[in-house]
Amino acid sequence: MENNCKDCKYYLPVDVFRGMCKRDKTNIGPDHEICAKFDRLPKCKFCQKYKAEKEFLGSCLGNTIAYPDMNASKCAGFEWVR
Amino acid sequence: MKSPEPPLKEAINYYGHKPVESIENREAKRSPGARANKARELYFEAKSSASVEFPYWYTRRWEELEGEIPIVRRGEAMKAAFEHLTPVIYPGELLVMGKAAYLRGSYPMPWLSEAFFMAAEDKLYKEAMESGKLTADSFTTVGKGGGNVTQSSGNVISIAGKFGLRKEELPILMEVAKKWKDKSVDDIGHKYEQLVPGYKEKEALMRSVICMFDSGYTLPQGREVVNFYYPLQYGIDGIIRICEEGINETAGSPGMDRIYFYHAVILMLKGLQSWIRNHAEEARFLSSLEKDEKQKQEFDEIAGRLEWLSTSRPRNFHDALQMIWIFHTAVLNEDAISGLSPGRVGQVLYPYWKRDIENGTIDREKTLELLECMRIKFTEIDCFASMGVVGGVLSGNTFNNLCIGGLKKDGTQASNELEMLIMEAGITCDTPQPTLSLLYDEKLPEEFLMKGIECTKIGTGYPAWVNNQVAMEFLLSNYGHEGMQMEEARAWSIGGCLETSPGSWMPLELDGETCWIPGGSAPATSVGVHFLSLPKLLEVTLFDGLDMRSGERIFPSHGYALNSYDELWSAFKTYFHRAVHVLTLTNNIQHDAWRKISPSLVNSMLKPDCLKNGKDIGQMGSRYNTTFNVESCGTANLVNSLASLRKNVYDDKKYSLADFRNAILANFGFKTAQETGSYSLIDQVATEDYHNWKHIHKAGLDAPKFGNDDAYVDRIMADWENWFCTMTHEFRSLYDQPLYACQISVSTHGPMGAVTMASPDGRLSGTTFSDGSVSAYPGTDRNGPYALFESASCWDHSLSQNSQMNMKIHPSVVKGREGSRKFLELIRAYMRKGGFHVQFNIVDSRMLKEAQAEPDKFRSLLVRVAGFTQYWVELGKQIQDEVISRTEYEEL
Repeated sequence: MENNCKDCKYYLPVDVFRGMCKRDKTNIGPDHEICAKFDRLPKCKFCQKYKAEKEFLGSCLGNTIAYPDMNASKCAGFEWVR
Repeated sequence: MKSPEPPLKEAINYYGHKPVESIENREAKRSPGARANKARELYFEAKSSASVEFPYWYTRRWEELEGEIPIVRRGEAMKAAFEHLTPVIYPGELLVMGKAAYLRGSYPMPWLSEAFFMAAEDKLYKEAMESGKLTADSFTTVGKGGGNVTQSSGNVISIAGKFGLRKEELPILMEVAKKWKDKSVDDIGHKYEQLVPGYKEKEALMRSVICMFDSGYTLPQGREVVNFYYPLQYGIDGIIRICEEGINETAGSPGMDRIYFYHAVILMLKGLQSWIRNHAEEARFLSSLEKDEKQKQEFDEIAGRLEWLSTSRPRNFHDALQMIWIFHTAVLNEDAISGLSPGRVGQVLYPYWKRDIENGTIDREKTLELLECMRIKFTEIDCFASMGVVGGVLSGNTFNNLCIGGLKKDGTQASNELEMLIMEAGITCDTPQPTLSLLYDEKLPEEFLMKGIECTKIGTGYPAWVNNQVAMEFLLSNYGHEGMQMEEARAWSIGGCLETSPGSWMPLELDGETCWIPGGSAPATSVGVHFLSLPKLLEVTLFDGLDMRSGERIFPSHGYALNSYDELWSAFKTYFHRAVHVLTLTNNIQHDAWRKISPSLVNSMLKPDCLKNGKDIGQMGSRYNTTFNVESCGTANLVNSLASLRKNVYDDKKYSLADFRNAILANFGFKTAQETGSYSLIDQVATEDYHNWKHIHKAGLDAPKFGNDDAYVDRIMADWENWFCTMTHEFRSLYDQPLYACQISVSTHGPMGAVTMASPDGRLSGTTFSDGSVSAYPGTDRNGPYALFESASCWDHSLSQNSQMNMKIHPSVVKGREGSRKFLELIRAYMRKGGFHVQFNIVDSRMLKEAQAEPDKFRSLLVRVAGFTQYWVELGKQIQDEVISRTEYEEL
């Protein structure tokens, strides 16, 4: 699974085209390549309970529709995929 | 063969002298402080962006609770959505939090309407597949148009020509939307509105764009004033305690429906508390990363403030400002809303500010900085709706109207020093939101009024000048039967762009003192029949029920031979009445679906007396509920057209009605606006056929025109207004209250003009109507502003929720101190005549022309449209052309 800046916990979204790095306030894009400081943001696609089913769609716990790029940092059930 | 030169320029001369060659700039203005300037630069670069986070969690929780009591189910769904929103804080912010996880973030609400996405599914998927073919360079093209994402590119899909959505969120949006099929307010409302006798007529009215949109599922809330009393007085924990006490008092007793409301409000508030605490946590995280000591301290202060406000009432001015912003945003998150106005913020917050100034914990400089930050936050608000609503009605605006001036509870003048600073912030940090309205009263001090002039002169279009006494008279007439008296009428404010909205005085306790603060006390004051195109209705009248653009029959024959002006007038009234009748009934059903499926919780909790009554606003929990209206568009074109027919056909008998019908069908020998790509009359292009129609066209153009103090046409205006403002009372709202007239065009005069054929006043097919309701048609008011005022005040404005006048004044006219004095006297003259509202564009038209040609150079240029200020580059061409063509006064 390829990560990019929008998957990083230091990514601050400004709009759908761009954001900035929370660490140094530099402008970056959501699809930019990650740097050495990359640290994964909890997202459904990184969760044990998420199962991918088709492009950009999957399920949570096998019974609820979900999508891989959902920010799951406020989801009480999130568990990092091993 | 070359087309002949259009002779229109001879027929329509702009009032005043020929302008000098060079473009006149607006009077020099000041700049915002460094913090607000940086935030505004970030705003200028940011695009409108949609996300699916809120609707996903809302829908997920909603589905889990099948069978639960609907209002509790909604409370649970809102709680889930708020507590899962990604917290976002931008560097330098002093006020934090927003609708969604983008600077200009918003999201669709499929529980209101999912049909738009379903209908566009194939197209959106196709764009998602193809968008990658566009290079990143094409993004620069998207940039023209300010923050609008007008086309798909890269990994971004354009929705409704405005909102960008990440490609990876499109499939989930579609899946979530599908879950609301046959369950949304739109679908349920549509299912049952078809039970209304004559329903098919409603569909024909919508197809012909005689009526513009349904408010029940598009924008069910808004055009109203928020009330911040409860969070300020009790804090969130305090409100939860009020709800718990309400449950204890009523559980198991008759009338126990109240417990479900209280329970739902508690759930929603718990969600808000998580939302606020999540932002506090984010601020702590950002602080942990921060190397700059000042910024680190600010992040820590933000965290501390949010942690405090998640439970408790504000301690100071900064807390109170943050608190009202949180609740303003929270209301915006519960529905698709435009025109949610914060109301008289300077008077609500004055007790906190005065105390902080006196104890030295804040100074004027810091206050100005905070107020500038407030302007940026309000400007970031976006409303996700379909293209027709966002572009055709709203022009991308959200109409957060902040009012200043007016009177206090005891009848003395209400302005204060904080309001002076609010105006100063409007000058230094000129942004579209919040727009300002000055509630003009003769008791207001001269210094305050002159500050208003200073602000108006910089060309932002605000403050709008609104007549306090006329508004109170309207409120007492229309809300008196619900118990409104003079004292409470003084608490009013503007909701939305120009909707007179009732308010109440609430007893805020601070340091042992009771401060009476004003706030809104009614739900949306502008839902109902929206909007009715008056020139299009006249067209249908002239053609005996047919829409001549489509050929579709809208109404059965009116049965009048139209042999006299009285018959024409009667036929027009018959159709108008018929349209209002069916649209009122269908609209009531839609709003009934809304209150059952998507009852308001945040706004209801805030509005007196919902907490006391244990009822939401949809169950008439508010103090005042006479809030449905009939909105019109194109008044001056209707009146001018009637005057033309009366003069040319019935009085002078120069032409027959058939002659005018034929001329209309031939568009007086001109190309249509769609063909020319320009929407103002002055730019239209004649065809070779023009010479066959030029005489009748000239007769239409030469007929008496509204705005010139001409009794012939002003009498027609008065007849129309007196009839319209009275006939609306015959119809009953969902809440069994009479409707009233509302007369603002917002942006509808563009699209409504676009589908209307030529009109008897000489206006050509597809061109934009006159704006507002007492504005003259561009170029036709030739006798100066005072003559326009005479015409506009030929009827009693207190009969209507509003009347709207837009004027364009050349900057040279109001230059300097002397110009300011003249300007104030001009406004005062109109107010003294009983004019309800006037607002100004202080701008050289040639600058607007230049901005139209080279938008990139004018990213920050603001203009006043019809009740709102907007960035020029974010306006559609129909409205740009209309603003350019407005009569430009070059002397007063």
